[in-house]
Amino acid sequence: MADVDRRRDDRNGGAGFRGGRNDRRKRGREDDEYEHGNFRNQRARQEVPPGTRIRRVLVEAAEDVQGREPVDVKGALSNVGKLAAENWGDEYVREVFVAVALKVVAEQPLKIPFMAAAVLYANEYKSEAAAEVVAAATSQLQEALQDGAWRTVKLLLRFIACLSPLFEEDGIVPVLNELFDRAVDLQTASSEDAIGIELVKIILLTIPYLIAANDSNAIKEQVAELLEKTEIVATAPHSLDVLVNPYPAIGGDDESRPMAFGGVISLIQRQLQEETNKGWPLSCIPRAFDPVKREAEANGDTNGNEEHASSQKHAFPVVEVPSPVYANSGEVFPEAFFSLYADQDVESVPPTTHIACSLIRDAVVDTVNILDFNRNATSKYLNELDNFWTPGTFTRRETGFDRLKEYTGGVSTWKPEDVGIDALFSQIFKLPTPQHRLICYHSVITEVCKLAPQAIAPSLGRAIRFIYRSIDQLDLELQYRFMDWFAHHLSNFEFRWKWQEWIADIPLPEIHPRRAFINGALDKEIRLSFAKRIRETLPDPFQALVPASKEKDVPDFKYADDKMPYASEARALLKLLKEKASEEQIQAILDDVRDQATSHGVPDPLVPSTDVYMTCILNVGSKSMSHVISNIDRLKDKLSALATQSEAARRQIISSVVDFWSLHPGNAANIVDKLLNYTIITPMSVIEWALHERMDRGRALASAQMYELVSHTVAKVSARVRQVLQQRANTSLPFDQRQVIDAVLPRERQTLRDLYATIEDAVASVANGSQDEMMERYEGEEEERAIIMQWGERWARVWRRKAAVEEAVVGEAAVGELIEPEPVPEPEQEPVADMNDALDAFEAEAGAGGAMDIIDEVS
Amino acid sequence: MPKFTMQNTVERLDKPSSYAMSKYKKRRRNPAEEALRQTRGESPDLATKLSSACTLYIGNLSFYTTEEQIHELFSKCGSIKRLIMGLDRNLKTPCGFCFVEYYLPEDARDALKYVGGTKLDERVIRCDLDEGFVEGRQYGRGRSGGQVRDEYREEFDPGRGGFGRGRDQIGEEYGQGQ
Repeated sequence: MADVDRRRDDRNGGAGFRGGRNDRRKRGREDDEYEHGNFRNQRARQEVPPGTRIRRVLVEAAEDVQGREPVDVKGALSNVGKLAAENWGDEYVREVFVAVALKVVAEQPLKIPFMAAAVLYANEYKSEAAAEVVAAATSQLQEALQDGAWRTVKLLLRFIACLSPLFEEDGIVPVLNELFDRAVDLQTASSEDAIGIELVKIILLTIPYLIAANDSNAIKEQVAELLEKTEIVATAPHSLDVLVNPYPAIGGDDESRPMAFGGVISLIQRQLQEETNKGWPLSCIPRAFDPVKREAEANGDTNGNEEHASSQKHAFPVVEVPSPVYANSGEVFPEAFFSLYADQDVESVPPTTHIACSLIRDAVVDTVNILDFNRNATSKYLNELDNFWTPGTFTRRETGFDRLKEYTGGVSTWKPEDVGIDALFSQIFKLPTPQHRLICYHSVITEVCKLAPQAIAPSLGRAIRFIYRSIDQLDLELQYRFMDWFAHHLSNFEFRWKWQEWIADIPLPEIHPRRAFINGALDKEIRLSFAKRIRETLPDPFQALVPASKEKDVPDFKYADDKMPYASEARALLKLLKEKASEEQIQAILDDVRDQATSHGVPDPLVPSTDVYMTCILNVGSKSMSHVISNIDRLKDKLSALATQSEAARRQIISSVVDFWSLHPGNAANIVDKLLNYTIITPMSVIEWALHERMDRGRALASAQMYELVSHTVAKVSARVRQVLQQRANTSLPFDQRQVIDAVLPRERQTLRDLYATIEDAVASVANGSQDEMMERYEGEEEERAIIMQWGERWARVWRRKAAVEEAVVGEAAVGELIEPEPVPEPEQEPVADMNDALDAFEAEAGAGGAMDIIDEVS
Repeated sequence: MPKFTMQNTVERLDKPSSYAMSKYKKRRRNPAEEALRQTRGESPDLATKLSSACTLYIGNLSFYTTEEQIHELFSKCGSIKRLIMGLDRNLKTPCGFCFVEYYLPEDARDALKYVGGTKLDERVIRCDLDEGFVEGRQYGRGRSGGQVRDEYREEFDPGRGGFGRGRDQIGEEYGQGQ
């Protein structure tokens, strides 16, 4: 019951949702304390105190009760409002009511209308109760506005909008108007502004809740005026839209795209217009508050006070929108709307013309992102999604997709499962990045699937088919996110998938996007499991894609074959390495190889000797990652010395690794990663190796492994630059140290820019067919050439976006000059432990060009 | 009385497990420990200490699950600093647990939230925050060399060496005691 910090009147009560952690419960000894004596029995006889009851009802509002849909949500909320009002004299009750209602608003957006209803009910009996909640909510709103915590602003505005029956006049509308003015300021200042867009989105998403709670003509008029103003901002195409389109048109027109592009706010603007035309039915927003009937009151057990005659109204507290608003929320790009199911033949989710589409999506996405710390709770709410909207908004849970086609005559065909899955995928497919790690969304999908497999699995199946069908048009980064999710998801469900459906694609050329997807996905599956197991899950025609050679744990040593040049030298070296022989003996063999190579006229004789050396190290360490790492660690000086001698040698190290582990690309990627950490190879050498040496007339761009190597390498350097920025902005460091860091920044930034430039050059030349090898070789192979050029375009698009994001975060304009802070007289403080380490790291890598910290590895 | 505060509306999955907390409490109740505390002063409590932990204990792995598989899954939550396989004290073979150390405590907590309780190699694995690896902890503490839990396990688990390994042995000892 650790969800509540302070519990004064109830040791074991709690509204907390206990997730599927029964395995831990069994182990736990925490219960022992309670077991002696008759504690449990005593508790059973006690009546639950009001504070605890209020907490539980509020936190669990509208949820399923013991696996069943709730029967009387309004009744429960009305009771809780009344209970709070009646016990308002109890300080604890007051604190609980205010704190819990606002906490639920902040963490569980789906329940906001229900929290508002509870407060409205309380107001019927005791206006102070509502007044106190309003005061707390507006002060939190003020704070959030100050901090630029826009999601919190949005949720609190929604809550206050739902409370509008409480307010005398315009209520929240002036705040919305002021927010809009700030949005206009931001928009005028920059055409690339995204915060202003976010503010408009908040305004637009508040309006429906406002009107649902108070549909007086005065409010409607003011909203109409507001909508007229937002129109210009909301419908103007954004200059960065093109970078976040999940289905960028590659030489195609809009018609043939799987999904029309829509900016989120232009979509909401249109939906609201549509709703205005219909007279604001806002049918999906639950109305959980009915003014209490006074006649019934007289029969009740409370004494009917005079003030109950009509609901008490309140003045709207002062809320000031700061000017200018805090505009550094990290939101760099406008948001694109993404849906796998919308606007298709069968309406299994709200159409993009309907306001429910945006309202439900927004609440679900926020729930998922806020409650990322308990995926069990999130999946429970997704599973019960229909509870939180007007009854009848959705079709019954677990209704089969095929049955929807039979529904006629205004009955809803929206499947709660589809709406939930759609929202989760919208996050996995969010560009440039979602709020949390992708695996966060994977884990929720897994959990939802575990809760209701029969209901969710078919929805997922349709999602997968939809994406797979037009995977060649999908943004490349998203394609790899999808591949990652697909393999990870299957690994949680016995690797079951209807591979039969894709049999027809096996004969396609290996570089065909669908075929490349299959290859990549199978490799990812094998990495999480093992080849033999994955082969068992595949139908016959796929068996050939997982050859028996993949089952070998230790790859063949290529120098075991006498036909290989330098075979005997390599075998001798291998023996020495195993014996941990002296440096001189090893060097003697390497020198021998180099001399032989020179006499054979090899252009860079260091290349064969490096290959021999690296391949032997890999062989000695082939038993596991720890083995190879401890060997690299032991020999890192020697390896570094080799690698610094020539670029060709550095690239040869990469070649040796990738070729040795050609059947287990995951191991190769890990080892390259470690070599980068040890600064034995440079990030640029990886990029050059992948996009020049191994470009293979552009075919490399179809390989998941190449994408992985390139993106991991760039991500590493990018993380490094951000780390520098973070330390530079660290005001706990003395200013002169920060100046030292500031001096490092331009070089780090340049390293990163060089990588992007190199990638751009390489892939752009493939995209337009001007790559050298492509010019030579392509006669009569038009189809293959077209496919390769498409890969080039897709790569270019990804890396241009990433470069733009990077500039927006680490570019000179974004970073600004380092300014010495005003000296603050402060008492001596303990130095931060990491401070010196951080600086040591900078000094250690000086000159290594974007090098990474050397890390200690287990041997 | 302090004001009522509510940290979250639902339980957090990124806290130390009740198992870790109970072991910690048990240790604190130990008189020797208590005496030490008297002399050395109070050390920060476990929850505080673990809030900056970068290491995770991973349990209920199959004996056949490899470092590479673990790495593949856990690297989805951040860059891994090191990975230490739990080994049978006598055989020096994997015995179904490991330690994963990240560079950042946030990454460890992410793994706790998103990976703990999901499957790896088709087994539901267990994750717990850990105070940090110390040489020696990579070995099983059971009588047979493996993990203690495998000695008392009565059901057959093909991924963890069949039936509980110490069962017969322990049974005999109990027999002698009677």
